[in-house]
Amino acid sequence: MNEMRPLPELDKAEAISPDPINPKIRKLEVIDTDFHFSPKWEKIRSYLKEPFKSRLYHFPVGSLEYNPEPANEKPGVGQDAHGTAATAADVLRILDQFGTDTVILNPGYNRPQAIFNEPVIAAICSAHNDYLINEVFPVSDRIKANLMICHRDPQMGADEIRRVGHHKQFVGVFSSFSAIFEPLGCSKYDPIFDAMAEHGLVLTAHSEGWFVHFTPLWTGARTWIELFGNAPAGNCMAHLAAMICQGLFDKYPDQKVIFQEGGYWWIPDFMLRLDDFYMSSSGDIALVERKLASGEERLKKLPSEYLLSNVRFSTQPITIPKNRKHFAWLLEMCHAEDLFCFSSDWPHQTMDPASWVVEHPDCINEEMQKKILAGNARKLYSRL
Amino acid sequence: MKEYLLGTLDDLPEGKGRAYKAGNATVAVFRRNGKVFAVANKCVHKGASLCEGELSEDGTVIRCPWHNWPFDLATGQNCLDNSERLRIYEVKMQGDQVILCA
Repeated sequence: MNEMRPLPELDKAEAISPDPINPKIRKLEVIDTDFHFSPKWEKIRSYLKEPFKSRLYHFPVGSLEYNPEPANEKPGVGQDAHGTAATAADVLRILDQFGTDTVILNPGYNRPQAIFNEPVIAAICSAHNDYLINEVFPVSDRIKANLMICHRDPQMGADEIRRVGHHKQFVGVFSSFSAIFEPLGCSKYDPIFDAMAEHGLVLTAHSEGWFVHFTPLWTGARTWIELFGNAPAGNCMAHLAAMICQGLFDKYPDQKVIFQEGGYWWIPDFMLRLDDFYMSSSGDIALVERKLASGEERLKKLPSEYLLSNVRFSTQPITIPKNRKHFAWLLEMCHAEDLFCFSSDWPHQTMDPASWVVEHPDCINEEMQKKILAGNARKLYSRL
Repeated sequence: MKEYLLGTLDDLPEGKGRAYKAGNATVAVFRRNGKVFAVANKCVHKGASLCEGELSEDGTVIRCPWHNWPFDLATGQNCLDNSERLRIYEVKMQGDQVILCA
């Protein structure tokens, strides 16, 4: 340091603002299947019907979710770590920033399923959907969305699907999966599946409600890693097993489901394990509501076959093993080429830009890149 | 390896990072309390621009702006996983001029 010699003629380094998105991404079609949209409460409230509008001054607090700030050792990191999209203009700005062509909006912080009052949930869902129809969808056809329903009351959920499900920019129905609700595969939700079938809508099953006050499963957990890093995978497997074993896909063979934020590297074990148990212990499948109604005693296919034909997984958060062979094997064993649909989960702290899809060509060839980035979503969502 | 002039110490923003193009390299340079460090700008995790990250109070650790990964700026090593490392670049002072070797 501080050498005293004449300063030679040096090239000057140029200060720049690097684009963190891989340039290949800007040349490929990208469909983001999980992007959180958070209209301001005043906007949602303006679409509320009475008597809700004059009584709900704020978004009703449904739960005291654990804030991730202690885990991340700084404030403001978590739900809206990378910003807030409250309008169509916000959404389009973020899409351009990240090289995304088409987005499927999911609700942001204002997901109301944990509110104790089902009519309030349904009213907020309707207001959210009406805001999208009136002020967001008309701005750009690049913006699609999953419509919100109160799935805690299946008839209310079905009514909302029939009210707005015809709108072509709604491509699916948003639902949470967690341990707070009976699994989404239970027959109590058939009114919702009936209505979805009428419109050919995909069920978007998004991780939510892994906190200890929702479920005894996670009682005793202390850390963000346990609650957020691990719990959604267990919940996801439970909901998917219920869908398969309780005959959802036998009654609704065209129903597609995309799981979000529940992980997926567990797929090989799940498929092998369910098939193995089915071969030895499937007698009580005849006792589930849908099979009692149809008179069937077994499933029509092996459990693993339903996963391959009816279920897809959004990719965020991708976890990439350091061993290249392991990454390639995991992708193959999880049927990633056909089952994975890119998602960013913007603006949450674990957000993934799409760059990773094109930065591992030894494991993800060009054809597979295109399928993960857009092709699989186009095949899944008939309205895209 | 070639030397590039970054400017004077006061040309570098105090307490935060700035990215520079030096030949083919994109380098994030950080300055705090008289210390200057330079590392590869692209985070080894998912490619964020580290120049936009948060610099520790003592100026020795940068946290990635996307996923909060912490890196020791002197060694380039991830603070929690020895196997993850950023490329580091030498920074020299000559008088009040800051020189980057990249």
